[in-house]
Amino acid sequence: MEIAYYPGCTLHASSEFYDIQSRLVLGQLGVELKEIDDWNCCGATSASKTNEFLAVALPARNLGIADASGFSEMLIPCSSCYSRLLVSQKMLTDNSELRYKINAELTKKVEGKIKIKSILEVLVSKVRSGEIAEKTTKKLEGLKPACYYGCLLTRFPYDLDVPDSVENPQGMEIVCKTLGAEPLDWSYKTDCCGASASVNDTDQALVLMSMIMKDAIGRGANCFVTTCPMCQLNLDAYQDKVRDKYGIQNRLPVYFITELLGVAMGMSPKKLQIDRHFVDAIGLFKELKLL
Amino acid sequence: MSSTVLNLEPTLSQRLLKEVMDRSGQNLLACYQCRRCAAGCPVGDETGVTPDRLIRMVLLGEKDDALNNLLVWKCVACYTCGTRCPNNIHTARITETLKQMSKEAHIEPMTPKVAAFHDSFTTSVSHFGRMNEMEFMGMYEMKITRSEAKHGNWKAIVDEIMDQAKLGLSMMKNKRMHISLAKIKGLSEIKRLYKKAKEKSAGH
Repeated sequence: MEIAYYPGCTLHASSEFYDIQSRLVLGQLGVELKEIDDWNCCGATSASKTNEFLAVALPARNLGIADASGFSEMLIPCSSCYSRLLVSQKMLTDNSELRYKINAELTKKVEGKIKIKSILEVLVSKVRSGEIAEKTTKKLEGLKPACYYGCLLTRFPYDLDVPDSVENPQGMEIVCKTLGAEPLDWSYKTDCCGASASVNDTDQALVLMSMIMKDAIGRGANCFVTTCPMCQLNLDAYQDKVRDKYGIQNRLPVYFITELLGVAMGMSPKKLQIDRHFVDAIGLFKELKLL
Repeated sequence: MSSTVLNLEPTLSQRLLKEVMDRSGQNLLACYQCRRCAAGCPVGDETGVTPDRLIRMVLLGEKDDALNNLLVWKCVACYTCGTRCPNNIHTARITETLKQMSKEAHIEPMTPKVAAFHDSFTTSVSHFGRMNEMEFMGMYEMKITRSEAKHGNWKAIVDEIMDQAKLGLSMMKNKRMHISLAKIKGLSEIKRLYKKAKEKSAGH
């Protein structure tokens, strides 16, 4: 099947390998990603902190393009883009005056038709259909991930139908268990890692990350797994700083869920580009004899 | 925040309350101070002001304090307060509104780096329709250097440059840095949306 695809800026830049992995892994599961034409930045957290109109209008242009694409569903792997587009769509459905104002400036108008999906929703449906079990050749035995959801996958600044439990989501655990990994119960899976503050309010972000690290380690995790490129970059790039400041010994690789799937499907680290991590991410797979 | 005696000016509080409610879309009057938001706020320890306190400031018409406190600037928009509120009040959206009002009132941000970060991001998107990490970070560094230089904080400037250079180098080493600029074809539409956004905020 084909599905519309909104990668967002990060998947074309610092998390390009997440884009590559998503295409590879979902392709293997029979889902072909069709990038929508000439998409723009969703505005992320910054637009909503700068201008309330832009926070809705920037995602809206992408919704218009998606509505005109002829597809019924659109996949958005980045949690921030996913949240912004979902919120904008619901706000514009509820507020026809605002929709009219924004549509007046758009070539492709927002109709509200496209169904927005997170990567987890798609993956969980592929667990249920049995396709993931069918396509994976390797059991990820010994991998004990702390499944990290962060803020934006289950908490929205607007009333929405949330696809998973707000406080204790399970989608990632369902996927990890299917792959033979042993995801752990832990307390910080939806806590904020401070990604939007790591550059501009570093100490604040380090405090938040230290609590997440400590709990994950205390529960016996040997890695993180996430679907959010902001969380991935933050926990990966700033991990040494957190460890230095808070006297933490362990180093935990921060995987995208697509890396676990790719390895379980027998793809090579080179193909998946697992060498683009700050904290070495290949060593653990080797240690567990998964590569 | 600073008041020790309850000093309610109904005319002032009404005006502030109405603007915050209209712009944030949140019903602040529904708050009954249960403080579930405060219990979950990840930055509450650092800010002193928790979401419930902020709401109370607005209700009491304490405009100066409401526009100028650490929660407004340090809120990480994690939306925990809003999802736990029994009355469905999203304080993160209130902090967003207050931040914008604070800028419109030309109040110097309590954390200039946070303000420079979000401004640079949003401006960068207006140039190309996409966020280009290099352009955005360059603009951000210029902004904060200018602000630190104004206050003569030379050491802060050096520290910041060293820090970002280190991060930049390790981004480069791990092939996470992207140099080329992405630009969309429909940039004129983006420009029109920005123009409308400016008119809208000027209208407040």
